[in-house]
Order: sequence, then structure tokens, then C-alpha cells
Amino acid sequence: MIEAVDTRARGLRGRRNEAVEAASVVRRLDWILLAATGALVAYGLWAIAGITRHDVTGNANYYVVRQGVYASLGLLALVVAVFVDPEYYRRYRKQIYVGTLGLMVIVLLAGAVTRGSKRWLDLGFFKFQPSEFGKLLLVLFLAGMLADRAKRIGDSKTVLTAIGFAAGPIFLVFVQPDLGTAMVYTAALAGVLFLAGTRWTHLAILGGATLLAALLVLWILPAAGHPVLKSYQQQRVVGFMHRNDDPRGATYNVTQSINAVGAGGATGRGVKGATQTNLNFLPEHATDFVFASIAEQRGFVGVSILLLLYLLVIWRALKVMAGARDAFSAIAAGGIVVALLFQVFINVGMTVGIAPITGIPLPFVSVGGSAMIANLLAIGVLEAIYVRGTGRRRRY
Amino acid sequence: MSGRVANRRIRLLLAVFAIVFGVTLVRAVWLQGVRAQSLGRMAASQHRTTVDLAANRGTIYDSAGVQLALGEQAITVYADPLQIRDATKVAPAVARILRLDPRQVYEKLSDRKHGFVYVERKADAARAARLQRLHITGLGFYPEERRFYPQHGIAAQVLGYAGIDNHGLSGLELALDKPLAGRAGRETLVRDPLGHVLDSIVSRPARNGSEVSLTINNVIQAQAEQVLRQTVQRWHAKDGTAIVLDPHTGAVLAMAVAPSYDANNFPGVSKDLQRNRAVTDTYEPGSTFKLVTVAGALSTGLVTPQEKFRLPYEIQVADRRIHDAELRGTETMSVATILSKSSNVGAITLAQLLGKDRLASWISRFDFGRPTGIDFPGESQGIVLPADKWSGSTIGNVPIGQGIAVTPIQMASAYAAIANGGMWTKPHLVERVGDGLAKPVARHRIVTRWIAHELTSMLQNVVLDGTGTLARIPGYHVAGKTGTAAKPDSQGGYSTSKYVASFVGFAPATRPRIVVLVTVDEPRGAIWGGVVAAPAFKAIAQQTLQYLSAPPDAPAQVTATSTP
Repeated sequence: MIEAVDTRARGLRGRRNEAVEAASVVRRLDWILLAATGALVAYGLWAIAGITRHDVTGNANYYVVRQGVYASLGLLALVVAVFVDPEYYRRYRKQIYVGTLGLMVIVLLAGAVTRGSKRWLDLGFFKFQPSEFGKLLLVLFLAGMLADRAKRIGDSKTVLTAIGFAAGPIFLVFVQPDLGTAMVYTAALAGVLFLAGTRWTHLAILGGATLLAALLVLWILPAAGHPVLKSYQQQRVVGFMHRNDDPRGATYNVTQSINAVGAGGATGRGVKGATQTNLNFLPEHATDFVFASIAEQRGFVGVSILLLLYLLVIWRALKVMAGARDAFSAIAAGGIVVALLFQVFINVGMTVGIAPITGIPLPFVSVGGSAMIANLLAIGVLEAIYVRGTGRRRRY
Repeated sequence: MSGRVANRRIRLLLAVFAIVFGVTLVRAVWLQGVRAQSLGRMAASQHRTTVDLAANRGTIYDSAGVQLALGEQAITVYADPLQIRDATKVAPAVARILRLDPRQVYEKLSDRKHGFVYVERKADAARAARLQRLHITGLGFYPEERRFYPQHGIAAQVLGYAGIDNHGLSGLELALDKPLAGRAGRETLVRDPLGHVLDSIVSRPARNGSEVSLTINNVIQAQAEQVLRQTVQRWHAKDGTAIVLDPHTGAVLAMAVAPSYDANNFPGVSKDLQRNRAVTDTYEPGSTFKLVTVAGALSTGLVTPQEKFRLPYEIQVADRRIHDAELRGTETMSVATILSKSSNVGAITLAQLLGKDRLASWISRFDFGRPTGIDFPGESQGIVLPADKWSGSTIGNVPIGQGIAVTPIQMASAYAAIANGGMWTKPHLVERVGDGLAKPVARHRIVTRWIAHELTSMLQNVVLDGTGTLARIPGYHVAGKTGTAAKPDSQGGYSTSKYVASFVGFAPATRPRIVVLVTVDEPRGAIWGGVVAAPAFKAIAQQTLQYLSAPPDAPAQVTATSTP
């Protein structure tokens, strides 16, 4: 689908057409994607309401109200994004890239330290987490870069250039330290390279290199006396493979998480009966381990509904990609959807004990303003791509 | 790059997504379907713990409502050595306040292998409270009940002891453990990950132990104990027992054993002292047993009370020669005189008239050879040979209380039967448990009222001008019998230096209120029941009659020699 159409020749539309365009935009929106996203956000808010009921004494709705405000802001961002032609992102990708890097450097210099890591800029009313927006911005930048070099995509130089640019944000996030988000960036990079048409041999080499790097970081360098990861990161990542080694220590979280998921059973223990969540045995139950809390309170039924909603969003996102008007839009949509799916899988996977613990929020559900706004913004970009797509309903 | 390639890649991506979702869903089914129950239990077990709620042990009262055993609030001090910051500083402070050995406390507090050690179980509440106010990290406190015996030595052997876990270990504390202990309650505690208790659900409230009232009267008991203690000291005896019994109801008003001890010190007292010898130990009764022989001979109609017998000093029975206690010539004695002078030859003569089978059945009728059924654990049944095991000389032994072993409570009950007009009544120590009514007392007739009256007259003569004159109580007619029995030695014969001196009787003889039995084991200086035990009987009976305000049945001018 990603055809080598020279979008630059078409240029941007004039101001006079804006009103006409607005009407056509609304008419051409993918309402299924919007509905699925809306359902996901609503379901997430409902779940958070139950999960955080006992977290703030005297204000049972503290988190759900805040989260609702963020969702509203996110909706605003989504609407704005729909009316922004994605072409702008390609045109201003260098500014986007420099801006992203600049924010991350500011975070490292002036960020608020929370539990040993600098991830936020404290704006008083809002804890702004640039790395959450970075997921989208990095994808847009890389998509623009690769789309412009579509004809040279087979060159290893193109691939290396993309990796070189991506390395900056990945490194800056990694040293916050935020291993999870660094992994999401890497997954997004892999996603855009894959969808842009990078050769299989290059992909294989990259895969091998990643594996080697993982081995170096996790085992070889620590064994040689040069640990790369913080020891808690190391323990968590490796710990999921030996879960029963130390149930009260490094794998405490995942043990409690699995207990919570299992205790939920088919229909859940309800808000009152969810002792793992309410009594705080399950740490981070509104953020990183929110899936386990949903599983405990709402059971397999609730989990299935959540997963089906994600599946719906991702199916529509793939459709957006398939109907994109140009290579940039398609690659961008693909990068967004890969990053989204990667987050869902790693988050859900770690709570059920089949993926390492890395601290990634569950998109649209976990408590956190930046992630909520950034994810809705990403959906807005997808819609923007969709409404400007070819309109052809292709099979894929 | 062609659209076809792109489409293929999108399809590949979709396949990856599908697999990932499939794996996640399968995992969810595994955890929430297959393993849901066990994981749910694990989740429940880490925040719910079920603990016992201790029930308070019931108080034991005497018949006048005085507390003999009660639960006292104490505080158990424990520690988590892992949380003790500096045992070298904490230990001396703890030891000083609780008055413990600082080195032992230090050893406990510095033992980092454990997360829980007792510093002191059931510590004094006031001292523990002082320690609690210091707020030392790592020390914990919880209230616990400690058994306390406020009367200390009073009825120590009867009460027994309840140990550190509030379980009865001996005596009535053991016999009545079930009603006294009550039933512990169950409480489910909900805790957060740091162990703070968030909620508690009492699934079963504790049911406190029942209160128990005894027939023992603390004043009569204390007096009996004091007299007994003085008697044992005066005669340098090994030990002694005394029983005061209400002959009509079988209620034990006092049951004393000397030497005694403070009931609160039970754990440190030798097993020997802990025994309630009045119930658990036997002795050869000697002459007090002649009552049975005489009662049998009278009841079967073989003799009348005034029937006369010519009795030599000695009598040959099979291979043994038995003589009376004091040298005399051949005398003519009535049945009454045989009892009052405690003639061995006379008693054996009556027994020979009765024959061994009838004698054996009379022994049994007086409830010797089986437990009385008193509500005290570990009662001995005594040793009584059945008639078919008797040797030729047994008929010369048993009628005078040799070759037979009885418990003090058996002997007291036998005399109580005579005092009660011939009706044997089962002795008992427990008057009431909780709100329950007193159980009807088991009783049965062993001799007719007339025989009982005759025997009482004879027993009065014992005190008036027989072997028991030291048992006389001014103002009261007293009936009773002395006993002096050589103790069996290890060679199968009888010791020539070790005796049990005893006296058992009742007063006022015309309307008996109390039966009193005193046994003194291995007195030195004198061996005679009439010398050693009779004065103790007199003292106990006199004090008890005064305490009970029993009206005198003998005006003061009654002379010692008058006959009833």
C-alpha cells in the first residue's frame, strides 16, 4: 500500500479550502476507531474508579476525577490533531526531533526526582512527562525520514541513519532511568523500519545485534563487573524467568500480581472483595499493575472485554495504515500501532508473568496524565491520516 | 517498495498481533480459570489470619464465696530481635524493670535467628506497663491471664494448678478443666502488607469459663490445716491428712494435707507434696476399721451390743498369735467394750463368728475396696483382698484393720454413714459449676438406723472412757475411734517403729454435724492414735463446731464417766 507517491508535489491546501475540508474531515472520520477508543477510555475510567476507591482516604474519586480531566484534555488534543495535516509533521520533523531531544535534556537537568528517577517536569498543576509524547514524536520523525528515503530503504546506510537518530531519545530515556519507555522507543523503531520495507537481511542482523546487546547488558557485562542496568531493573527483567526464587524480594510485585489475576477468577471479586488491590498487597495497582487490578476486580470477563477493545483499536489502526495516502502516513500509522501494541503486550504480559517487569503504563487505562493525552493525541494523528487517505477499502 | 510487499508486511504484523493476543488470552484463562482457586487462596492467606481469643478461666470459690483461684490480668512481653536496635542497651533496661536476669534477657534480644521471642510470659501488669511506656522498638505486649491463688496455701493440694497456657494440670483445676477453661473464640484479622491490622472479624466469641463453688469452707480448711501442721510438727511426723465432712450431704468442708505449700508455687514443688493424699494415698487403718467388724456382727444379728465375751489376752489364728495392745488378764467384755477398749482379740472373735465371706461382704458394703467416686482426679480404690484370696490368718488381720489399705476419704465416709443414721453418702468437693444446680448426691443404706445408733453409742464410749479420751470436746458428745497401725515394711512383715496414728469420729454425737478424720504418718515420740491424732481431732472438731455454731448437746456438768 505504501506507494512512492511524491506527496511534496501536491503541497498543502490553501486557506480558503479549510471550511470545506473541516466538513469533509468530520464526514470521513473512522467512527469505529473513535468509538473503540472512547469505549476503552470509558472502560478504563470505570476500572480506575473501582481500583483507586481506597487509595486516597476521604476522597474515593480522587484519581478517577483527575483521570477524567486528562481524558478530556486528550480528547481536545485528538480533535486538534485530526485537523492538522500529517504533512506538517513530515515537513517540520527536524524541529520535532530537536524539540523532543531538548525536552528530554531539560528533564534530565531539571526534572523532578521520584523514587530515584527523573521522568517528569513539575508544572505545578500537572506532571508533564515528555517521554510519553516522545513515543509519538519519534515515530513521526522516523516515518518522515524513512519516507523521504523510500527509494534507498534497501541501503544499510538508511537503516543505520534511522537507528542513529533514534538512539538519541532512547539513550536519554534510558538514563532517566526508564527502561520500559526506552524499550517502547526501540520497538517503535523496529516497527517503522519493518513497515518502511527494510530488507530482511538487515532486520535479521538488527535482531541478532539486539539479542547480543540484551545478553551483554543482562549477563555478560554484569558478570565482568560493569553493570549497565540498575540492580532492581536487572532483577526484575531476569526475575520473571525465575519467578519462584525470591517471592518477597525482586519478584514480589509479579507474585502479588499473578495472585491478584488468579484470585479474580471468571467474574472477579468486585470492588469490595479485591483485597490484593484494596489492601495494597499489589503495588502500583493504578499504574503499572492496573491490568492485574482489573483482573482481580472484574475477572476474566472484564479482562476479555479490555483485550477485545484493544484488538478493535489495533484492527482499525491497521486499516488506517492500509488506507494511508502516502508512505509517510502509512509508516507513521504503523509505528503508532506497533508502539501501542507493544505497550499493551508488555504491560499485560508482565502482570500475568510472561514478560519482564519494566514499568510501562497500560495505554488509556493506567493513571497518568501525559500518557493519556499522548495516546489520545496519537489516535488523533491516526484519524488525521485516515480522513486524508485514499478512501479505498483494500484487503490486507 | 511495492504495495504488495507492504501489504505482506502489514499482514505479518497482524499475525504477530494475533499471536500476542492469543498468548495473553490463554495465559488469562490459565490464571483465572485453571489456577483461580489456588491463587485466590494464596491471596486470601496473606491478609487473613485466624487467631484464638483467649477465654477467661473461671474463678473457684469456697462455700462462703471466697475466691480460692482466680484469673489475674498479666501482660506477656515479647520481642522481635530483628527490630531491636541495640540489645546491649535495651536488655539491661528491660531486665531492671521486669526484674529479670540481664544476661538472659540479652541472650534473647540478641538472638537474630528468630523474629519472635518471649521476654517474659505473664509478667506483672504494672511492671510491664512501665516498660511499655518506654516505647522501645521491637518489644511487643499482649494481655494474658495468669492463674492466681489468693489464699496461697489454703487447699493447695485440692485446688491443684493451672499452668502457663491456662490448662488445668492437677487437682480440681484438672478435674474441672473443661468448665473452668470455657471455650476460646476465633477472630479473623485482616492485615495490610506491613502487618498492620486493618479489620478484625470475630467469628466466634470467646466463652469464658464457668465459675465453680466448692464445698470447702476456707475458715474450716485453714483451721484444719493449721492444726494438722502443728500436729505433724509436734510429733515430727512425715505427713498427715485431715478431713472434715458433712455426714448428711457428703460435702467436704475441709481436706487438709500436711506438709503443704503455696499454690502459686506449684511448679517448683515436688510431686510428692502436690498429691492430695486424703484421696490418692492409702494406709492400713488399724483399729478404726473394727467399726466394720462390729457393724457386721450386730447387723447379722449374731450378737447384741451388751452380749458378753470371755476374752484372753492372746488369740491364735492359723500361724499367728494376736494380742491386745495392752497386757491384761482374761476379761469379760461386751461388744461395746470391745470397740471402746479396741480389743484386737474381741474384734477377731466377732469376725470369726461372722466368717470370712460375710466379713468380706460387709467390707464391701462399707464401700472399701472401690473408689468413693469423689469428684477429685486420681482417687485410689484402696487394697482389699477378695474372700477367696484370704489365707488362714487373714481373719485375724482384716477385722482389726491390717492387711487392708484404705484412703482417708473412704474411712471418713464410712464413719459419716454411721453419723448419718446408717446412710452412706458419696463425698464431694464441688458444690456448683456455673449456673448449674447441685447434682443429687448418691447415697445408700449400709446399716439400719438402730444399728447406727448402737454403734454411735459405742463410739461415744471410746471417747468417754476408752482409747480416745483426748478427743473429748466440752459441751458436746463426741463419737469416734482411735487407730494405731504398724506400717508394712519392705520384708512383707510389719514395722516395729513406723506407725500411722489416726482418729476418726463425729460430733455432736446425738445430732452429728461433722465427721472429722485425722491421720498422722510416722509420728515420733508416741504412736497411739489416741495420743497423737485424737487431740488434733478435738481441735479441728471444736473449732469447726464453733464456726458452724452447732448447739452443744452435752451440758457442761456432764461428767466424763457418765454412760449414754
